[in-house]
Amino acid sequence: MMERVTYLYPEIALFITTCIVMIVGLSRELKHRKLCAPISGLGLLAAGVLATGLVPGFHVATGAEVDPTAGQILLPNLVPYAKVLVAGVGILLLLLQAGTVDRVEEARIASGRAAFNPLRSNRAEYYAFFLFSLTGLMLCASADDLIWLFLALELTSLPTYIMVTMSTSRHSSQEAGVKYFFLGALGAAVFLYGFTLLYGATGSTNLNQIHHAIAAGGLSGLSLAGMLLALLGVCFKIAAVPMHFYTADVYQGAASSVSAFLAFVPKTAGFIAILLLASCAGWTHGAGDSLPDALRTVLWVIAALTMTVGNVLAIWQNSVKRILAYSSIAHSGYMLVGVVAGPGGGTFATSGIAAVLFYLLCYGVMNIGTFGVLACLEGRAGADGEPAEIESLDDLRGLCQRHPVLGWTMVICTLSLLGLPPLLGFFGKVPLFTSAISAGEIPLVVVLGLNSAIAAFYYLRIVGSCLLEKPETTTGIVRVTPFGSRPAGALASAAGVIVLAIFGNGFMAASEKAAAYDGGHVEKKEPRAAGVPETAPQALGPAKAEGH
Amino acid sequence: MVADMLAWVPSFAGSVAAMAQHGAEAVRGAAQEAASHGPAVEAAGAGVGGIALPGMGSKLYGLIPLLPLLGCAVCGLLAALKVKSKLPAWMTVVLLGASFILTAVMFNDVSVKGHGAPVVSHLFEWIRVHWGMGERATSLVANFAFYIDSLTCLWMLFVTGLGTLIALYASEYMSHDVGAGYCRFFAAFNLFVFSMACLVMGDNLLLLYLGWEGVGLCSYLLIGYFYKKPSAVAAAKKAFIVNRIGDLGLALGVMLAFVHFGSLEYSVIFEKAGPYIAAMKAGRLEEIPAIVQLIPVLLMVGAFGKSAQLPLYVWLPDAMEGPTPVSALIHAATMVTAGVYLVARAYPLFLLSEIALPIVAWTGALTALLAATIGMAQFDIKRIMAYSTVSQLGYMFAGLGVLTSAGAGFHVFTHAFFKAMLFLSCGAVMHGFAGQLDLRKLSGVGKVPGWRIVSMAMLVGCLNLAGFPVITAGYWSKDMILGGAFANPHMQAIGWILLVTAGLTAYYTFRVYFRVFAGPVEYEPGDELHAHGDDGHGHDGHAPEGRATTGHASEGHATSEHFHPHAPGWAINTVLAVLAVSAFAVIGLRFIGGHEGWAADMVEQSTARYEGAAAYEMAGGHAAGSGHAGASGHALFFGFDAHKAMMVVSGIVGLIGIAAAFYLHYAGRTTAARAKADALLPAMGPVAGWAQHKWYVDELYDFLIVKPLWVLSNIFHLIDKLLVDGLVNVLGWIPRAMGGVLRPSQSGLLHNYAVGMAGGIALLLLIVVLVTRS
Amino acid sequence: MAGLVEMVSVCFGGVALAQTGYPAEMHRLTLDHYMVVSAVMFAIGLIGFLTRRNLIIMFLCTELMFQASGIALVALGRYHLDFTGQTFVIFVLTVAAAEAAMALALVVLLFRRRESLDAEEWSELNG
Repeated sequence: MMERVTYLYPEIALFITTCIVMIVGLSRELKHRKLCAPISGLGLLAAGVLATGLVPGFHVATGAEVDPTAGQILLPNLVPYAKVLVAGVGILLLLLQAGTVDRVEEARIASGRAAFNPLRSNRAEYYAFFLFSLTGLMLCASADDLIWLFLALELTSLPTYIMVTMSTSRHSSQEAGVKYFFLGALGAAVFLYGFTLLYGATGSTNLNQIHHAIAAGGLSGLSLAGMLLALLGVCFKIAAVPMHFYTADVYQGAASSVSAFLAFVPKTAGFIAILLLASCAGWTHGAGDSLPDALRTVLWVIAALTMTVGNVLAIWQNSVKRILAYSSIAHSGYMLVGVVAGPGGGTFATSGIAAVLFYLLCYGVMNIGTFGVLACLEGRAGADGEPAEIESLDDLRGLCQRHPVLGWTMVICTLSLLGLPPLLGFFGKVPLFTSAISAGEIPLVVVLGLNSAIAAFYYLRIVGSCLLEKPETTTGIVRVTPFGSRPAGALASAAGVIVLAIFGNGFMAASEKAAAYDGGHVEKKEPRAAGVPETAPQALGPAKAEGH
Repeated sequence: MVADMLAWVPSFAGSVAAMAQHGAEAVRGAAQEAASHGPAVEAAGAGVGGIALPGMGSKLYGLIPLLPLLGCAVCGLLAALKVKSKLPAWMTVVLLGASFILTAVMFNDVSVKGHGAPVVSHLFEWIRVHWGMGERATSLVANFAFYIDSLTCLWMLFVTGLGTLIALYASEYMSHDVGAGYCRFFAAFNLFVFSMACLVMGDNLLLLYLGWEGVGLCSYLLIGYFYKKPSAVAAAKKAFIVNRIGDLGLALGVMLAFVHFGSLEYSVIFEKAGPYIAAMKAGRLEEIPAIVQLIPVLLMVGAFGKSAQLPLYVWLPDAMEGPTPVSALIHAATMVTAGVYLVARAYPLFLLSEIALPIVAWTGALTALLAATIGMAQFDIKRIMAYSTVSQLGYMFAGLGVLTSAGAGFHVFTHAFFKAMLFLSCGAVMHGFAGQLDLRKLSGVGKVPGWRIVSMAMLVGCLNLAGFPVITAGYWSKDMILGGAFANPHMQAIGWILLVTAGLTAYYTFRVYFRVFAGPVEYEPGDELHAHGDDGHGHDGHAPEGRATTGHASEGHATSEHFHPHAPGWAINTVLAVLAVSAFAVIGLRFIGGHEGWAADMVEQSTARYEGAAAYEMAGGHAAGSGHAGASGHALFFGFDAHKAMMVVSGIVGLIGIAAAFYLHYAGRTTAARAKADALLPAMGPVAGWAQHKWYVDELYDFLIVKPLWVLSNIFHLIDKLLVDGLVNVLGWIPRAMGGVLRPSQSGLLHNYAVGMAGGIALLLLIVVLVTRS
Repeated sequence: MAGLVEMVSVCFGGVALAQTGYPAEMHRLTLDHYMVVSAVMFAIGLIGFLTRRNLIIMFLCTELMFQASGIALVALGRYHLDFTGQTFVIFVLTVAAAEAAMALALVVLLFRRRESLDAEEWSELNG
C-alpha cells in the first residue's frame, strides 16, 4: 500500500498546498490573502521536485517498480516526465493568474468602500481550483485504471468550468462557462460510456489487464466500440474534431490567463489519456507497427480534420483569442499525428509518443507566451470597474513600438507556434514529422506540412500587427496590466522558447525516455482468454524499464 | 539542441536504413570509412612531391589572409561605431603591411631557402563529407590549407605589396568620403585582399573557388561603391553578371576535376594526373580521356571571365566606374590576373589537352589586338588604361598559350607594378582636376606646379607599357612573350599579332602622355567641381553640382581664374615615387637568378613549370621555360634566334609607336583639344569611329544576348504573373474558402455544437463500421 | 441516431449471453437486456440534450447519460463476477453529484443575469 503512496507524492504535496491556500485565502488580512499565489507556487515547485524523484527519502516509484497491478506498465516512465512538465508549466501559468479574480472587490476593500467579506471573496477558491485541476492532471499521468483515469479527467475538468465562468464578470465569460460545462458533460458522458464498454469487453478496468485482454483476443466489437467512444470523448479535452466546437467560444469568453490554462491543462490531460488508451490497444497490431486498423483510421481522420479545421477557421478571425483558440485545435491535430505514428523505433526521432510528450512542453511554453501577452494588456475599465479584455488584432497594432518587451514576446512566441526555425516550435514539430515518416504515414505528413503552411496565414498576421503596423492612436487605450507577475510569466515563456531551443536536449532525452513503450514484446507469447482478470500478469515485469 | 537536431538526422536516416535490413552495416561501414579515410588522404598528400611537413612556422602563413580578414571585420565595426576619421585606412595599411612582411618571410622560406619545394600550411578542416560504400566510397575533403610554392609567393608578393601601397594611396584619395563610406571602402578592400589570398594560396580548387567568388564580390562592391550613381551600379552589375558566365565554367571545371580525380587538392589531382602527363610526354595524347581534356577548357572559361578576355572582356572597361585605387589594385594589378594564375596553377592539366593552350594563345592574342585598337580611339584616359589592361592580359594568356609560362609570369609581375602606377597617376589627375579624364581637355599637366612626381610616374609607367627598350621592365617581360611566340613554330601568327599590338600599345600609351602631361598647359575641370576650399574638390561619383566655370585656356597656357587644380598630397606622391622606383628595380629581376631571370625561376619552381612535353617537342614545339632556348626544334625569326631577334625588333616597334605618338600628338600641338592626329581621321573613314565605339561589341552583345533575354524574361514574367501567381492565389484561396464553408458551424449555439459533436461521433463510428466490415 | 443504436446492438451481438452459475431468474433477464436498457437510456439522454433548450433539462439529460453508464457498469460487474463495476458506479455517482452541484450553481448565476434558462440566449460568442 505504501508503494502506491510513493507513487503519489507530488499529488499529495499539491493537495496539501490546496488546503493551505483555501484557508489562507479567506484571511481578513490582505497580506495573508496575497500569499495564495506564492504558496501555490511553492506547492507546485515542491510537487515538481518530488516528481523528479531526486529528493532523498521521497523516492518516487514509477509504474515499473510498483507491482504490475498498481502502476501502469505500458508507458512506465511517463509519470515523472509528465509531472515535472505539469509542475513547470503550472508555475508559468500561475504567474499569469495574478489579479484574475477579486480585482474589483479588492480595490473596493483597499479604498475602504467595503469590508472584507469571505462570501464575496473568490481568491481562495480560484487558486484552489487552479491547483485541483493541476492535481487532476498529475493524477491522469499516474493512472493505471479506468476508474482512476475517469476521476482524474473529471478532477482536471470540473475546476476549469468554474474558472472560466468566474474569470471575468462579463456575460461572455458566463456564456463560455455554460457552453464549456454542458458540452464538457456531454463529452464526459461519452468517454464514460466508452470506459464502461471497455470494462464490459475486457472484464477489467486495469489498463495493463485491458491491454492483455486486447492483445490476446484482439479488438472485439465491444472493446472497439468502447475504445472509440473513450477516445472520442477524450477528444473533447484536447479540442479535436468533432469535439472542438466549444474551443473558440470558450477561449474567447474566458480571461486570457484562463484561456492559457485551458490550452494546456485539459489538453495535456487528454493527450495523456489518449496515449494510455492507445497503448492499451497497442501499436503492434495492424500491418506493420501501428494501431489496430479501425483505431488508426479514426485517429488518422481526426488528426487530419483537426489540424485542417483549426487552421482554416483561424484564417477568418480578427480576434487574437479566437485565432489562438483555433490554432490550439490545429496543434492538437499535429500532436495526434504523433499518436498515430506510435512508439516506432523508440528513439527521439522515430517515436511519435516522445514527439507528443515533447510537443506538449513546447506548446505549453509558447502558448503561455502568446496568451500571457494578451493577459498583460487591458482596455478601458467597464462600469463595474473591471478592465476590458484585449482580443482584437487591432489592439495589437504596433505593439513592438509601444511596449517592445511585450511586442517581441508576442512575435517570438507566435513565430514559434508557426514552427519557424530556430525557435522551440520548430524543434517540437520536427520529431512529429520524422516519427510519422518512419511510421510510413506519408499522406498524414503531407497534410501536416500543408497545414503548417496554412498556419502561416494567421500567425504572420499577428506578427505583422505587432511588428509592422503603426500604433493606432484613435481607437481604445491599451494599457499594461498593473500585475507584474503576468509580464514576468509571458517573458519567461518567450525566454523559454529561445533557451529551450538551444538547451532543450535534456528535455528531448527525458521525453524519449518517458515514451518508452513496453507493450509490443509480450502479448503474443501469452495468449490469454479475455475476461480472466484473476491472474495478475506477473510475467510482464518490464524488463527494459529503469527506475525513476 | 541545434546540434542535437543534426544528430538526429543521421540517426533517423539510420533507422530508416535499418528497416531496409542493410542499415546497420551501412552505417558502421560509413563510420569506419570516415575514420580510416581521413589520415590516409593526408598521408597520401604528404607523400606527394616531397611536400615539407607543416611545422609551426608554416602556420604563420595563415596570418597572411587572416590579417586582412581581421581588417575587414574591424572596418565593419568602425562603420557601425560611425567613426569619422582615417583610422580604417591606417589600420588597413598596417595590417596589409604586416601581411606583406609575412609574405616576404614566406618567400624567403619557401622560394629562397626551400628552392620552391611546396609547403602545405594546414589551418583547419573546412569541409569533410563521406558517402557511398565499398568501392564507391567517396570523400569530399577541402581543408582551409595553403599550398605554398614559388608561384604562390610570386603572386602574393605583389598582391600584398601593392595592396599596402594602394591602401596608403587610397587613404588620401578617398579622404572626401571619410565616415561610413570610408569604412565601407576599406572593409571591401580588406575583404578583397583576403579573398585574393585564399584564391592564390588555397591548396584545393574549392578554396580557390571561394576566393574567386570572394574577389568577384569585392569587385562588385567596389565598382558599385558610388551606388547613387546609375552608371556605377550598372557597371557593377555588368561585371558581376559577365563574371557569372565565366564562374559557371570554373565551377563545372572544378566539379569535373572532382568527379574524375576524386579530390580537389592540387597535390592529389596532379598526382593522379601523373599517368596522363607521362602519356603526354611520350606523345600518346590519345591515351588521355576526353573528360580530362575538357577540364582545362572549362577552367579556361572561368579564367577568361575573371581576366577579361574575349568574349567576356566587356565588363572591365566599365569597371572603371569604381574609385581609382580599386581600378589600380583589383582591375589592373591583381584580381584580373587570377585567370592567369589559374592557368599557371593548373598548367599540367592544360598541357594534357590538345586544344586548351592553343585556344588560350589565340584568345589572348586576339584580345590583345582588339583591346589595343579600341584603346587607340578612346579619349577617357582611365578607359584607355582599362583597355590596355585587357590588352596586356591578352599578352599574358598568349604567353601561357605559346608555352612560355615563365614569360607570362614575369609579365604579370612587371605589369602589376607599372599598370598600378599608371592608374594611380591617372587617379591623381582625376582627383586634382575634379574628375576630368578627357585627354582633349587636359594638357601639360606635368608643367603645373606640384604635379612633377605624378608626371614622372606617368612617364615611367608609359615607358614600361610601351616597352621602351632596355631601361624598362615591361620591355623585358614583353620580350620574353614575343620571343616565346616566335620561337614556337606553330605560333608564328600569334607572334605577329602580338608584335603589331606592341606597336599600337606604344602609340596609345604615349598618346595619353603627350596629350595630358606634355604640351601647352591647359585644362578644364571635370563635372565634379565643388565649391572652393580645402576639401572643396571632388570627383568620382559626387553628384554634379552644376557645371563650374571652366578653366578656359586663354592664349594657350593660362589657367582658370576660378579653378585651381588640387595637387596631390604626400601619400599619393610617396606611393607613386615608390612604385616608379620599384618599376625600375624590377628590371634587375630579369638579370638575377637563372637564364631567364628571377621570375622565370619562380615559375619554374612551381606547377606552372613546362616540362618539355614530347608531344609538343616532337611537333617541333619549343621548351621556352626550361632554360634551353635554342634547343632543337627552336623556330627562327628570319634566320635569327627568335629571342635575340625580338630584343631588337620589339624595341624598334615600341620606339616607332612612341615616335608616331610624338609626331601626331605632341609636335606642334598648341591646344588641348586638337592634334595632328585629327587630320588622319578623314583618311581612315569609318574605322576610327568604329574603334571609338569599341567595335560595337557592347551593342552586339546587347542585340544578340541582352535583348532576347529581356524579351524572354518579359514573357516569363507574364507567365509568372498570370499562371503562377494565379495558381498561388488559388492555392491561398482554398483554405480561406474552406474556412468560409466551415465557419457557420461555429454558430455560437450550444445545440448546434452538441449536434455537431454527436453527428461527428456517429460519422466516425460509421467510418469504423465500414472499415471493419470491408 | 438509428445508426448509433444499431451500432451498439451490433457490438453486443458478440457477447455471450450469460455465464454458467447465474441464479435462475437471470436466465430470463440476460446481460443484453441491461445493456440495451443502458444504450437506450444513453440515447434518450443524448437526444434530449440535443433537442431541449432548457438548461436544467439539458443537464438532466447528461445525468441520464451518466446513469446509463451506471446501469451498464452494474450489470457488467455482475456479469464478470467482480466488484469493479459497482465500485466504478459509486465514483460515477460522486462525480455526477459534483457536476450537479456545479450545474445548479451555474444555472442560478445565469438565471440572475438573463432571467431565462434558454440555452439560445447565450450565443454572443460565435464565428
